[in-house]
Amino acid sequence: MMNLRVMLPEGERKFREYIHNVRTNPRYQYPELNNEPFSKEFLPVISINETKHFESKMELAEYLHNCFKDADLKREDALQQNGLWTWLAYVWFDQLAPITNSATGERDIKEDAKYICSSDYQDYYRHLVSGPYSIYSLHGAENSRIFLYSRVYEHNDFIEQFASRQFIISHKNIVEAIRTLYIDCQRGKPKKGAQSRTNPGNIRRFVSVIQQFELTYDIYTISPERILDLLPDEFNNWKSEER
Amino acid sequence: MKRRLNYTGRKKIERENVSINFIRKDGAIVAFTFNKLDLSNLKLPSEAKVYVEVYYRTDLKRFDFGTAGSISYPSYCDLKDMAYPENVKFRILVVNPADGKLLAHADRISPEEPAERKTILPVEFSDLGNEIWRVEYEGDEGSPILVINRRIPNIQNIAKQDSQFMMYVYPQVIREVLTHMVFVDRVDSATEPSTDWHGEWLNFIRQLGVESPETLINDDENFSKEDKEDALRWINSAVKAFCDSYSNKFEDYIHKMEEHHDEP
Repeated sequence: MMNLRVMLPEGERKFREYIHNVRTNPRYQYPELNNEPFSKEFLPVISINETKHFESKMELAEYLHNCFKDADLKREDALQQNGLWTWLAYVWFDQLAPITNSATGERDIKEDAKYICSSDYQDYYRHLVSGPYSIYSLHGAENSRIFLYSRVYEHNDFIEQFASRQFIISHKNIVEAIRTLYIDCQRGKPKKGAQSRTNPGNIRRFVSVIQQFELTYDIYTISPERILDLLPDEFNNWKSEER
Repeated sequence: MKRRLNYTGRKKIERENVSINFIRKDGAIVAFTFNKLDLSNLKLPSEAKVYVEVYYRTDLKRFDFGTAGSISYPSYCDLKDMAYPENVKFRILVVNPADGKLLAHADRISPEEPAERKTILPVEFSDLGNEIWRVEYEGDEGSPILVINRRIPNIQNIAKQDSQFMMYVYPQVIREVLTHMVFVDRVDSATEPSTDWHGEWLNFIRQLGVESPETLINDDENFSKEDKEDALRWINSAVKAFCDSYSNKFEDYIHKMEEHHDEP
């Protein structure tokens, strides 16, 4: 266990440099950034298990949610701290960018925004640690599962299509409608075909329809059931549990 | 994404009829207050409900402002539980209580910062990874903001004064904004567009001596080949006129290049 830290600009620079270099040189040395001037201890003191392995984004988000809750750290105070999220990605880098070739040490490394938490409104939901926490802490376990079912290093289409859209991800009733439509309760994963671009009522079509609703209804006051009722017929197949 | 369809006759609350200010404590934003919300010209039913929503990223907070016939301004609208109060935008909704349909609305409103002079292209400095600049349509009513990568050393001075930066970046920014306005937003009038920032940018281009062609406005789903060429020609003329108006910066840039070239 170690105490939660906040990455400082110099640490962020070093971490970014490491990410860039390890892409082409898998043996590039992982930098030691758990001291000043690279990072500083976060207050209040919160213990984090830096070796904990997470099976899914859901597990990771739940773990952080509980750590922060135990320390009385409010969601809004945690989310403001970009350096905190960057540091968490740094300590869990091994599982966020896993080795894909044990012989060469090559890793599955995505774009910087997945590891370096940025103020950029277009990138924030892509961060592999703050993105899941942000969704879980707002929507709770049941409604988050549709977004957080995948492995910690994978960026799924539900996050890309829904979490990237402020209007959708901030409305709890829309998120509940999404879960009702697309989750396969038995598997705890999306129903097959929901992410297809060609199936009627796929998730991209849901986005288009909600964008029309946004300009027609006061969505905030509409229940999830009413949202489902308002959807056109192409969504009927998704309303049944069997699919 | 085309979002101009208005089958329900929803009315637009003009930006000039809204005035919002932040309340700060020790420099940090803790609340907001409305100085003005004038719906009188919209002829809305007096019983229609008025709501104000504050949002950014996953955060959304809603305030009840009474009815169109009797707007009640909460004296203190707390923002302390918002994660990013500096960045929040406002949405105003007037709702028919009978069926929940929108009767009028305004979106992406930013509060006034009274000391600031109004600019058609606010500049922000942010970490853009390996990008030097980007235009984001996150201002009032989706108006453009030029975001420049704050990781570049001394970038705030460079952006203001460096002739090379100015001649490389700003003409492309203008091209991008006009292209967005015409082909993405689909500006709806050359003289009195319904979106304020479209009008401000059209005025700016007019002041450069370039008149907007009628074909800029296109109600069809797609532009005809000729109209598209007209619009692109207009954009090119606007960019050229802008560069001509900064010919001193261009000369300065050439001069620096020559000096650099002559160095042993």
